[in-house]
Amino acid sequence: MDFDDTPEEASFRAHVRSVLEEHASELLHVAPGEPVDARSREAELRDTQRVLAEAGLVGVTWPREYGGQGGTLVQQAIVGQELGRARVPTLINHIGIGMCGPTVIAHGSDDQRSRYLARLLRADDVWCQLFSEPGSGSDLAALRTTAVRDGEDWVVNGQKVWTTLAHVSDFGILLTRTDPSRPKHAGLTMFVVDMHAPGVTVRPLRQMSGGADFNEVFFDDVRIPDSERLGEPGEGWRVALTTLMNERVAIGGAGSDIGPSPESLTAHARDRLPALDPERQALARQAVGRALVASLAARYTGYRRFTTLSQGGVPGPEASAGKLGGTAAARLVSDAGVRLLGDDAVLGATAEGDDTWQRAQAYVPGIAIAGGTDQVLRNILGERVLGLPPEPRNDKTAPFSGGAR
Amino acid sequence: MNFDLSDDQRDAAAGARDFFTGSVPLSAARAALEGEGLPAPGRKALADIGFLGITVPESAGGAGGSVLDLAVVAEQAGAVLAGPSLVTAARAAVLLEGAPDLAAQLADGSASIAVLDGPVTGSAPSLDAADATLFLGLDGGALVVGEGEVTPGRPMDATRGLASVRMTSRRVLAEDAGELWARARQVGAVVMAAEDLGAADRAVLMGVEYAQQRQAFGRVIGSYQAVKHMLVDAWVGVDQLRSLVWWAAWAADSSPAELPLAAAAAKAYAAEVAERATETVVQVHGGIGFTWEHDAHLYWRRAKVDRLLLGDAAEHLDAVARLAVAGALG
Repeated sequence: MDFDDTPEEASFRAHVRSVLEEHASELLHVAPGEPVDARSREAELRDTQRVLAEAGLVGVTWPREYGGQGGTLVQQAIVGQELGRARVPTLINHIGIGMCGPTVIAHGSDDQRSRYLARLLRADDVWCQLFSEPGSGSDLAALRTTAVRDGEDWVVNGQKVWTTLAHVSDFGILLTRTDPSRPKHAGLTMFVVDMHAPGVTVRPLRQMSGGADFNEVFFDDVRIPDSERLGEPGEGWRVALTTLMNERVAIGGAGSDIGPSPESLTAHARDRLPALDPERQALARQAVGRALVASLAARYTGYRRFTTLSQGGVPGPEASAGKLGGTAAARLVSDAGVRLLGDDAVLGATAEGDDTWQRAQAYVPGIAIAGGTDQVLRNILGERVLGLPPEPRNDKTAPFSGGAR
Repeated sequence: MNFDLSDDQRDAAAGARDFFTGSVPLSAARAALEGEGLPAPGRKALADIGFLGITVPESAGGAGGSVLDLAVVAEQAGAVLAGPSLVTAARAAVLLEGAPDLAAQLADGSASIAVLDGPVTGSAPSLDAADATLFLGLDGGALVVGEGEVTPGRPMDATRGLASVRMTSRRVLAEDAGELWARARQVGAVVMAAEDLGAADRAVLMGVEYAQQRQAFGRVIGSYQAVKHMLVDAWVGVDQLRSLVWWAAWAADSSPAELPLAAAAAKAYAAEVAERATETVVQVHGGIGFTWEHDAHLYWRRAKVDRLLLGDAAEHLDAVARLAVAGALG
């Protein structure tokens, strides 16, 4: 047992560091916890990803034939750690790289792969994932956006929502219902959609934390050529599972923190504890201690998953536990961070105008919902790890149009 | 990074599981609670298989193993509520670093040693003191060893062998032993967290097995999300506790500067996880889980006692915060 890099990992890490130092002047850097608005900083974010792509640090795990590095999940994790250390913000095309691209690789035509993948890695095109709808979130297969065949095209009508980055996207992968007479999972088809096509309308949505990272997207008689289909008609659910499996790899685990780090809470406590009266200090230390323990428990559990990856294993359903634990820790850490503010804790920012902890606090509810709600993750763990039976369902066999949705 | 057990440690865990499963029926914890027997497997059996000397140096007749080696065995001991505790062996092995003759007697079981918490003139209820004959204590900053007068109270968990002790003879083993004492207590806390890990893990398993079989309202109760999610939350806690126990044990062996914070984190988290897991197993069983006849309360008792031994969660959470602010997290 050790927490050091293997010689191969150490040399890869050194390589990544030297690349990041060499190109430092061409990369966007932000302070820890600083929000990065994709719209107002779109050009800088695209440039940053292009520079990193040309230096070989984007698409680490993608096959070489599609412009990737043919690397391992461990190398991917190391690049992520080093980007964080260098304070380079999350890549603008992280959804494209982590989810859309792998779906195109697995299910796209040669023509689609050659047109899309290299541009995606360089952020010449930014991608989004058009899955959730107002009436289907956790129950994704209940979606109602329709695609109807018309000659060589499909005509799409409906609405998507919670679409991260749609407001800066050039393309998206779009899950639609093409056969309502089949059961809900069997009547779906996936497409690549041009976000600049006539009939596509993107409206940013503001989150409770104040930022606007995601959107609602309307499709009014949008025409998509049949050549942009991913997988066969009716196979959309299987294609979507490819995307979601990749999402599970992308989120949560391998020892990266969800939410503010224990180190940032510690630094904050060092600053603010002395200003509290002694009784409040004792109570605040309880909250800080509890948050640090939760955070470290999640971090070291991530290190165990990371070890599994580095030994050639694949992430299983246990990865859902990483997100649950990380979310619980993020809640405790941000709550402790706000409490440490004393009288300023009830305001939207400190007297100096710093809203780092208030923003972190308002971001937590989103973490507990996005990428699998806490409740859906508990079902996955209960059924696939503990072996408990699922709730009975009546929506899996009847035609979607029959009303059992 | 390699944050996993070695093959040898996996083998040791499997061997320990076989030993404890074969030698410690849950009826032993029940009999001890009812005053009709001593905790199993008992000191002699633990000494004979070498578990009391895992961290005692080979030169003193031990195995010269690591705290992590001991922790993986302790997890298996916790799963069956074995007694006496490997916490006592771990803590005494640290305190007896400078007394190889006594360490040898600890390892081979020829001395029944307990470590006292609180004043040696009248200790707090201390682990495995009830049937011990030789006591280690901290007396005005000095580490002392001697005999004592033992007063057991009415046990909540009889496998813990708690008793108050008034030392009747004292020989100084080391002056200025405050730091040694603190390190021994931290190592003890890590091993207790490992025993709690085993107990909590077994409690969750009992709950899952019952939830897979018991039917209500026409289907097995484990299919209801209200029951399923309770068990999942308990399981996630167990999974994360395993990470903290391994980290803290590794720190005890390989990174002494990290030990105080890691041990406090593991002990605080163990208290919470074991309580949740054992309360969950009672709740999932419903009425039968609340009966004296059912084994669930034996685990519940262990959790309710352990959470307060070697410092409660409030003490350890405070320590984590203070140590972190003082720079222990880097």
